[in-house]
Amino acid sequence: MDLRQIHDVDARIVRLSNIRGNLYSMCLEAPEIARTAKPMQFVNIALGDSTDPLLRRPFSLSGIHPDRGTIGITWAVVGRGTQIMAGWQAGRSVRVLGPLGNGLGIDRLCIDHGLVLVAGGTGIAPLTPLASQALEKEAELQVFYGARSASELLDTGDLGAACMVHLATEDGSVGFGGLVTGLLEARLSAGALGNGRPTVVSCGPKPMLNHVKQICNRHGLPLLVSLEARMACGYGVCQGCVVPRAGGKQGYYRVCTDGPVFRAEDIELGECTG
Amino acid sequence: MNLSTHIGGLALENPVIAASGTFGYGEEYIKAGDVSWFGAVSIKGTTIAPRAGNPPPRTCETPSGLLNSIGLENPGARVVIGQKLPWLARFSVPIIANISAVSCEEFSELAGMFAKSPHVSALEVNVSCPNVKAGGIAFGTSADMCYEATRAVRKAWKGPLIVKLTPNVADMRAIAKAAVEGGADALSLINTLVGMAIDIHSMRPVLGNITGGLSGPAIKPVALRCVWEVSQAVSVPVIGMGGICSATDALEFIMAGASAVAIGTGLLIDPELPRKVTQGIKEYCESRGIESLQEIVGAAWR
Ligand SMILES: Cc1cc2nc3c(=O)[nH]c(=O)nc-3n(C[C@H](O)[C@H](O)[C@H](O)COP(=O)(O)OP(=O)(O)OC[C@H]3O[C@@H](n4cnc5c(N)ncnc54)[C@H](O)[C@@H]3O)c2cc1C
Ligand SMILES: Cc1cc2nc3c(=O)[nH]c(=O)nc-3n(C[C@H](O)[C@H](O)[C@H](O)COP(=O)(O)O)c2cc1C
Ligand code: FES
Repeated sequence: MDLRQIHDVDARIVRLSNIRGNLYSMCLEAPEIARTAKPMQFVNIALGDSTDPLLRRPFSLSGIHPDRGTIGITWAVVGRGTQIMAGWQAGRSVRVLGPLGNGLGIDRLCIDHGLVLVAGGTGIAPLTPLASQALEKEAELQVFYGARSASELLDTGDLGAACMVHLATEDGSVGFGGLVTGLLEARLSAGALGNGRPTVVSCGPKPMLNHVKQICNRHGLPLLVSLEARMACGYGVCQGCVVPRAGGKQGYYRVCTDGPVFRAEDIELGECTG
Repeated sequence: MNLSTHIGGLALENPVIAASGTFGYGEEYIKAGDVSWFGAVSIKGTTIAPRAGNPPPRTCETPSGLLNSIGLENPGARVVIGQKLPWLARFSVPIIANISAVSCEEFSELAGMFAKSPHVSALEVNVSCPNVKAGGIAFGTSADMCYEATRAVRKAWKGPLIVKLTPNVADMRAIAKAAVEGGADALSLINTLVGMAIDIHSMRPVLGNITGGLSGPAIKPVALRCVWEVSQAVSVPVIGMGGICSATDALEFIMAGASAVAIGTGLLIDPELPRKVTQGIKEYCESRGIESLQEIVGAAWR
C-alpha cells in the first residue's frame, strides 16, 4: 500500500513571467500535485542542487488545474531564494514537493451567508483558487484586496468580472485610500454586506490578519486565516514552523501540517512569526 | 552486495538511519517518503513529561546549514510508548528511542518505561541537546556525568544502548570512552553545534531561543573528524551523522569509521534521500567489487 500523498516531482516550468516590479508568477507541469491539491495548500520548491541556499522555499498555489496537469505560484522577490527563482526560464525543471498543508476546500466552508476574502499583498495568490471554487458553487463572493500602491496590486482578472472586488491602496493610487482593513471595516459598518454572517477567509501580513481578526470579532463573523512561518521541512517532521495555541491551551500548532489555514480563535496571532 | 550492519547488538538490513528530530514519530513522514528504505529510525527526543518546546522562530537557514532551537517538543514518554510506538511498529523497521532527561534518576526512570515497550529495538541516550536549559548537553560535556547517565540507563535497560554525543567539547574521545565504560554498546555522533544568527534589521537574534543547534552540510567536515577520532578510540560501533545529503557523504562517514549513518537535515529537504543514499552506496560497492559494507568501515584509517 502506498501511503504517499505528498510527491516530490521534477516539474517543468511551462511559463514564467515578471508581472511587474518584484512580482513573478510561474506555471509548472506537475500532474501528481495538480490532481489532488486543494485551495490554500502550498508546495516546497528546491532552489537547485547546491547546498547554499540549503532549504526549499514554500509557496502557496495560486493556480490548480487538474485538467491541464499544472499548478501556478505567484511570488515576490524578497531575498536570495526568490531572486534565484526570478532568474529561471520556461523549459527548465525544478523539484517541487507537494501538495503540502491542510488547505481549504470549498466543501469545508459554510458559504450559505456568502464568502468574504480579505487579502494583502501576495496574499491574494492563494485565495484565487478558493475564489474560483466559490464561484463554481455560486456562492455570494466579495473580495477585499489591498497593497501599498497600484503597482503592487496583482491582476485579479477573471475574478473582477465574476464578483465584487474592493481594492485599497495605502497611497490611494487605486480604489480606497488606506489599508484594506479600513475598507473592510467601513463596508461592514455601512451594512454593505447585508445581515447575514458571511464566512471570512484572510491571507496576508500578520498585522493585517490581526486587524481582520479584531474586525471580525466586532461584527461576529467567523474567520479563517492562512499563516506563514519560517519553515525547514514543510511536511511536518521538524516542528520548526510553530504558532502558539490560543484559548488558554498550552503549546503550539505546526503551520505546515496543522495549517496553514486556522480558525482565527485557535491561534495566538500576536506572537506568530513570519 | 551485503549492506547489513551491526550497531551494538542491533542488526540492520541497511546502514541508513533517520536521525532523531527529523522524522518525528513517522506519522507525517510516511505521507512523503518510504520508511522501508531506513535500516532503523530514531524517534524525536522524548522526555518523561510532555514538553511544549521553545518559542518561535525556531529555525534559521545559514550558509549550507540550518540552525534549530526546537527545544525537545514532544508529547511525553507515556503518549510515545502508548500511542506513537505501537503505530510506528507496523512498518517493521527497527525503532531507536531517543531519550532526554535532566537527572540520572530521570534517565533511569525513562529507560525503565521504554524497557516495557515491545517496540523499542535500541535506546539512544541524548546527552547532547543544545536547546534545553537543564540537563541536555550538560551530561555530554563532562566525562563523569556522561558515565553516570549511561550507567543509570544501563541498569534499567538490557537491550542495545547507544549514547549520542555532542561535538561541543574539547576532546570527544574522553567523553566517548566514559560512555563506553558506563555501558554503551554504540555511539551516535554528532549532535548539532551550538550557534546563532542575528537579524540586522531588528538588531536582535533571529531565533526565539537566541542560540540553536547547527546542522547540515556546513558541519560535515567537523562531524567526519569526530567520527574518525572516536571510532579509533573506542571498540564499539559508531553511527555517523552531520550533513549527509548524498551517498558520497555517507561513504565518507563509513570510511571514517562509522558502521551506520544517520540523515537529519537532508531528510527535511528530500524525503526520498534514504533511498538515494542506500542505492548510491550499493552502486559504489558493486562497481568496486566490494561484497560487504563491513569491508569499508574505517577504510580511511585501517
Ligand atoms: C505556507 C507558506 C506559503 C507562502 N506562500 C507565498 C506565496 O504564495 N508568495 C510569496 O511571495 N511568498 C510566499 N511565502 C513566503 C516565501 O516562502 C518567502 O518569501 C521565501 O521563502 C523567502 O525566500 P528568500 O530566499 O527569497 O528569502 P530569505 O533570504 O530566506 O529571507 C528574506 C526575508 O523573507 C523572510 N522569510 C524567509 N523565509 C520565510 C518563510 N518561509 N516564510 C515567511 N517569510 C520568510 C525572512 O524573514 C526575510 O525577511 C509563503 C510562505 C509560507 C510559509
Ligand atoms: C530540527 C532538528 C531537530 C533535532 N532534534 C533532535 C532530538 O530531538 N534529539 C537528538 O538527539 N538530536 C536531534 N537533532 C540532531 C540530529 O539528530 C543530528 O544529530 C544533527 O542534526 C546532525 O545531522 P544532520 O546534519 O544530518 O542534520 C535534531 C536536528 C534537527 C535539524
Ligand atoms: S516546517 Fe517542519 S514541521 Fe513545519
